[in-house]
Amino acid sequence: MDNISISAASGMRARMESLELLANNLANVETSGYKADKEFYSLYTSLDATSDPGTGEIATLPVIENHWTDAAQGELRNTTNPFDFAIDGDGLFSVQTARGIRYTRNGSFKILPSGALAASDGSPVRALGGGQIVLQPNIPVDVLPDGTVRQGLQTVGQMEVVSFDRNAINKEGSSFYMAAPNAKSKPASGAIMQGKLEQSNVGTAESAVRLVAIMRQFEMLQKAAGIGNDLNKQAIEQVARVVS
Amino acid sequence: MIRALYSAASGMSAQQLNIDNISNNLANANTTGYKTRRAQFQDLLYQNIIAPGSASGQSTVVPAGLQLGLGTRTASNEIIFSQGNFASTSNPLDLVIEGRGFFQIKQSSGTTAYTRAGNFQLDATGNIVDANGNQLIPQITLPPTAQSIHIAGDGTVSYTLTGQIQAQTAGQITLANFQNPAGLSSVGSSLYVPTDASGDAIIGTAGGTEGLGTLQQGYIEQSNVSVVDEFINLITAQRAYEANSKVVKAADDMYQQANNLTK
Repeated sequence: MDNISISAASGMRARMESLELLANNLANVETSGYKADKEFYSLYTSLDATSDPGTGEIATLPVIENHWTDAAQGELRNTTNPFDFAIDGDGLFSVQTARGIRYTRNGSFKILPSGALAASDGSPVRALGGGQIVLQPNIPVDVLPDGTVRQGLQTVGQMEVVSFDRNAINKEGSSFYMAAPNAKSKPASGAIMQGKLEQSNVGTAESAVRLVAIMRQFEMLQKAAGIGNDLNKQAIEQVARVVS
Repeated sequence: MIRALYSAASGMSAQQLNIDNISNNLANANTTGYKTRRAQFQDLLYQNIIAPGSASGQSTVVPAGLQLGLGTRTASNEIIFSQGNFASTSNPLDLVIEGRGFFQIKQSSGTTAYTRAGNFQLDATGNIVDANGNQLIPQITLPPTAQSIHIAGDGTVSYTLTGQIQAQTAGQITLANFQNPAGLSSVGSSLYVPTDASGDAIIGTAGGTEGLGTLQQGYIEQSNVSVVDEFINLITAQRAYEANSKVVKAADDMYQQANNLTK
């Protein structure tokens, strides 16, 4: 293939991946604590492609090199449920799953039959420094902004809320994040709000604009690939025509 | 590309379920003792296109990688046990629990179910029964000649007989609670049954130190459905459904154009 077609095809593939990210964001527009994924486009330069023997120019192709998760605060919605928690500001709740410690912004917690506070999949919420937060039935629970859980003014435990560098955590699904093996956590500055849930931070209007942009760019690239195709066709049919 | 189609489809089906849930809440906005349910969603698995931390050169690694999510799923629709409003009635057997407890009801099958709906009545033999005729536990029987029935905050049921001044005690209503009320299973007719997630019932007296709440006679607890909130949820669910359907259309269009490349 010639350069136009290769570049255009690479661009089309990148737009398809953009659409996949956007589709996942929009599917999770109602998922509590969900953070939108966005893409970085970058220019791909392979070692083989570094120098064109004719001009010495470097061939570059647009690809989605990586994505970034927009950590912007989602809106806090009042739920009146005393076991719904939202973090206003920076931080992640720590949860002890069977696979190890995971982190989440989805504070829709429940009580296990044992009385322990747990995430929606039943994994217990970690207390500061490890352990669980076990509640007594029938006594109202109140939680202070620093994550201290109290029942009838008696402190039962403190939720572990930590913060990571943006690149140190990855999404695992089921609203959980996984930290890189050597990632260092630091204490978070966000405030815990009881009776509230953080909405997903996917902007529907912004997503609609991006959807149109992706489609139009795809269309342009398809035209470009078509032009490349036409050029090739003419080259084959006309330039190389053997006059009889 | 197919990923985008399926992600959007998962979003559409999640919103459909959300609307089913909202419509059931709205349908029960006037049901005594009904507790609203709220759908909860989670993101699905992520597919690693470029694994985070993989080498991008001899000495550099990709800092964040490229992960594509595969849509959403409904995690649960949990029951929100906040207190409903109280409406005054003139029926002496209408009760509300000001607190976290549940009434115990003996179902026709003999098993115990739990309810917040306190619109009780008397059956032909004078037993206190719920709106479906199921007996209240513990069984409390009032004689046909009972006058001025009084139910105290701690659940003691007393009455006077015609021509007598001395009040007679018929029994005491006890209440139940659960470690995790959100884990109860709804069985219809405003009844809940315990599950492994809710734990076993903890029985106690009303107004006691267990915090089960006190009883108020002559009131019923209305549902805790907030019609305004439900309408807002309905609008956002509908818009989210629409946005996801637009993605399906966009993915389809792009697919078509890709197919048209070799026209």
